[in-house]
Amino acid sequence: MSDRISLTIDGKQITAAPGTNVLQAALDVGKYVPYLCYYPGMKPFGACRMCIVEIEGGPPGTPASCTVPVSNGMVVTTDSPKLHAARRGIMDLLLAEHPHGCLTCHRIELCGPADICLRHVSVNDRCVTCPKNERCELKDTVRHLGMDMDTSLTYNNRHLPLAVSDPFWEMDMNLCIVCARCVRVCDEVRGDYALTLHQRSSRSLIGTSHGTSLLESGCEFCGACIDVCPTGALVERSYKWDKAVSVTTTVCPHCPVGCRMKLEVDKRGRLIRSIGDLGGQANRGQACYKGKFGLDFVNRKERLSRPLVRRNGRLEGASWDEALDEVSSRFADYRDGSFALIASPRGTNEDNYVAQKFARAVMMTNSVDTSSNLRPELVSPLRRLLGHGAGTNPLWDLEGSKGFLVVSSNMTEEQNVAAVPIKKAVNAGARLIVVDQRETELTRHAAMWIKPRPGSESVLVGGMIRTIMDESLDDHDFLADNCEGLDELKYALWKFDPIQVEALTGVPQDDLRAAARLFAEMKPAAVLYGLETVAAGLREGLVTALVNLVLVTGNLGKPSSGLYPLFLGANDQGSLDVGCAPTLLPGQASVADRSARERLERAWGASLPDTPGHSITHITRAINAGDVKALHVIGDSPNFTNGELDGFVEALERLEYLVVQDTFANRVTAAADVVLPSAAFAEKVGTYTNLERRVQLLRPALSPRDGQRPDWQTVSMIAARMGAEGFACQTPEEIFDEINNLVDDYGGITYERIGPGGLQWPCLAADMVDTPVLFETGFEARKARLGSLSLPPPPETVNGEYPMHLARGRVLHVTEGDLQIETVKGRNRIRRGEIVEMHPDDAAGIGVTQGDRVEVSSPRGKMQGMVSLTGTQRSLVSSTSLFGEMITSLEHDTSPDPMLRTPTLPLLPAKVTKVLEHVTAGTAGEDA
Amino acid sequence: MVETAQLSSDAGGINDRVREAISSGKRPTRTILSSLLAVHDELGYLPDEAIRETAAIFDTTINEVWGVASFYTNFRFTPPGRHVVEVCWGPTCHLAGAPALIDSIQHMLRLSGEGDTEDGGVSLKYNTCLGACAQPPVLSIDHHLVGRLTADSAARAVSRVLDGA
Repeated sequence: MSDRISLTIDGKQITAAPGTNVLQAALDVGKYVPYLCYYPGMKPFGACRMCIVEIEGGPPGTPASCTVPVSNGMVVTTDSPKLHAARRGIMDLLLAEHPHGCLTCHRIELCGPADICLRHVSVNDRCVTCPKNERCELKDTVRHLGMDMDTSLTYNNRHLPLAVSDPFWEMDMNLCIVCARCVRVCDEVRGDYALTLHQRSSRSLIGTSHGTSLLESGCEFCGACIDVCPTGALVERSYKWDKAVSVTTTVCPHCPVGCRMKLEVDKRGRLIRSIGDLGGQANRGQACYKGKFGLDFVNRKERLSRPLVRRNGRLEGASWDEALDEVSSRFADYRDGSFALIASPRGTNEDNYVAQKFARAVMMTNSVDTSSNLRPELVSPLRRLLGHGAGTNPLWDLEGSKGFLVVSSNMTEEQNVAAVPIKKAVNAGARLIVVDQRETELTRHAAMWIKPRPGSESVLVGGMIRTIMDESLDDHDFLADNCEGLDELKYALWKFDPIQVEALTGVPQDDLRAAARLFAEMKPAAVLYGLETVAAGLREGLVTALVNLVLVTGNLGKPSSGLYPLFLGANDQGSLDVGCAPTLLPGQASVADRSARERLERAWGASLPDTPGHSITHITRAINAGDVKALHVIGDSPNFTNGELDGFVEALERLEYLVVQDTFANRVTAAADVVLPSAAFAEKVGTYTNLERRVQLLRPALSPRDGQRPDWQTVSMIAARMGAEGFACQTPEEIFDEINNLVDDYGGITYERIGPGGLQWPCLAADMVDTPVLFETGFEARKARLGSLSLPPPPETVNGEYPMHLARGRVLHVTEGDLQIETVKGRNRIRRGEIVEMHPDDAAGIGVTQGDRVEVSSPRGKMQGMVSLTGTQRSLVSSTSLFGEMITSLEHDTSPDPMLRTPTLPLLPAKVTKVLEHVTAGTAGEDA
Repeated sequence: MVETAQLSSDAGGINDRVREAISSGKRPTRTILSSLLAVHDELGYLPDEAIRETAAIFDTTINEVWGVASFYTNFRFTPPGRHVVEVCWGPTCHLAGAPALIDSIQHMLRLSGEGDTEDGGVSLKYNTCLGACAQPPVLSIDHHLVGRLTADSAARAVSRVLDGA
């Protein structure tokens, strides 16, 4: 332990890592020192002076312990009459401007939040104007100091106006103690700079530029400022006054990052608040707008509460027994391969394991998939070329990366917290290359933003590899030691001549070379890709090219490098691992793999089909063709109705039999023959595997309601009624034990072993550690295969009704264009004119020029905007909206689970027409 | 004839003046602060556009720029009055009767502290020392010093300027 510093705190000999500050060192050994402005994980600020200590062998006087790094031989005193008096003096000053009725009232433990209190403290100032409800760090500190609150100073109420017009978020500056945690978390951790300290000295306060709305200040509504606020100054609007009676840590079901969230539940059993858990290794205390403000759907009255069975054309209430009997007797007719099962993106490993086991062992089909598995190519090349179908490195490794390549992903919205370490690293000097036709938040942080012609992304990456090889920027040693197929790759690269690449991608050669050099020189570098704008037929080729890029630059098998497939569903990785996919058995073995099949057949006591089933992307076609006659859908999916699965809902009418398990009624349940209510994530036990292979445990914050059952249980009961063996597990833990017997990578993972940080597979045995970074010890028996590269077929020339592509983007704030904040019924919203970016040639083609008004229409709708001739790609129009516009619409969305309706940003076929009547904006003149 | 609309409304060309001030090189504008100073020198105040433009130039958000701008009390965010009257209230002027000067000028301008008159004619500011301690009490009217004033003569001096405008 020679690299640790030893020091004495209050007579106790301790050690701490070099660079730790004295305050954190004391907290780490369980020695509490009061503090208000310090926050774990953020840079010390030294503003509140509450953590003052005396240090022999350190700075003189009473330094703030958060600002003093530990050094050998320090003798620290954290409490003495002198320090105590100084702290009380500081607290007196704070309380002179902080309402403190909550400290003096003797009824504080008796009153409810809405009780009227006129007697004990002044009406303006009583404790009920503070929503913090005993979670207040200021109050805890006052109590720690043993103050009795007859403060000697005159209390001054600042009477500052409240800011309560922005979505989800409320601010009462009268309660602020200007610790600036909110400003610092927004700057340092989130990289958003949406808040600032304004004015100075005693007048300084928290706010935005000119006090404007968060909607235009660059806020991403992640709620980090609320979570760090020590007082009631910043709070969530919903359930603002409610007090929690229990706190449970579980995993957010909204995206594959797998944020651990602390869920607070009130005495009426409602989920009132969610707070990112600092101990969560995937999120480190962070959350996003979905996890922070979009989990209370579990409270909604519209939750399905009893099974429904279609009788005489109408869905009518039924008992579970009736419904299950009906389902099991009807399903028995479809064991001929005409059955398919679609599992939920929110399904746990246990749910989805049971679902695929049911489909395979009972229904005799491989047609089982999750509705979020829209892009199986995210990992299939990784499985083929590298050996593991999964992301290679932990998310927070990205903090240490020097370079990033982000391809076709709107990750600040779809996998928000995964972008936090990227923004942090970029702010610290790392370089980011974004390849996307759409303007996303990350393009604003990018050193290079490349907009290749739609469909030519893999050509671009191939061109980068060619430049790297040509200029000998590749990692020769890594290639020689770990890879095979180099000669084939070099041969294939002949076709990726820069001139050819420029012609195909529309990206200038100089940019191509610059990007290649940038990526090759920044080490370690990571590649993240979402394939959101890439057509199905081109995805495999693009991911193969990205794998090659990572291999030739040696960015694999070491920290802060690697490949990060960006899934959409919370458990997409886990669903693949447990075989909830039409081509994969548990353990990601191919359904055609005889030995894998035989192993399962022995374990399950059933014979299994060996032909791949219908995937989610082909299910609509299969239904329409009559290949699938009975469908079992486990719901909670946005993809059925958001345009990703065209015609799916309409196709349901053609089914002979449809069973749906869901949380809410929707268009899919409306078409069902039987509807079975599902328990929601907050009522479940189970595991999710996130996009970094981290298996984390869900724990129930709420007790399950009558009539709703976890999906694994419902499916097991159907299977049992159909006479199947092997569905007798009574708890998720028993199911997980079955999983870890069959999936080698999960072999050493048990509920008991999964701690707060989760475990990253492969974890092969109970006595083996997990594997944060894949391939760190090389590629075991085999070598990584460089994939074959070829030029994709020229993209279908879009013509006919929609000759162009529309790339809609979304960012946190824009500097150009008109933007006004208007307040309607007490709520802020954005009013602005759209700007449509066009290539000058395209604009000339339809006779418009800078500032003209055009209409862009696509199969999904129309928009109007003013032309800006800044487009760089022909046949591509783009338009960027504001995150603030989306967040207001989400706030006003009355559907039960609004965060499922977050609009995605697909690349759409489009046409542009001139708007004849010249609608003017600003000071522009009328059309003459 | 088709007129082209500008992409953003720019009443009075403020955006252009802001950009011109920042880029014209009268002062080196390498930092947020120096950019703001350049605009303040040029326009006499920092319009919202200056905050936005500076944020765009330095690739940061409006809030960062606002944090800097609002820290300095000498920046103003609304257009100044047509005339600027500064009353010295340094120790010498204070002893020589500055409080009476302030009272009479404020009474005349119908102000109760620093600030702008309702018609935008005068911006009144206090100054901690105008550096003319030999002629107390001192006023500065549009950056011209007037010394050895009384409450009455100070009010007259200010009203002369107003009338002459």
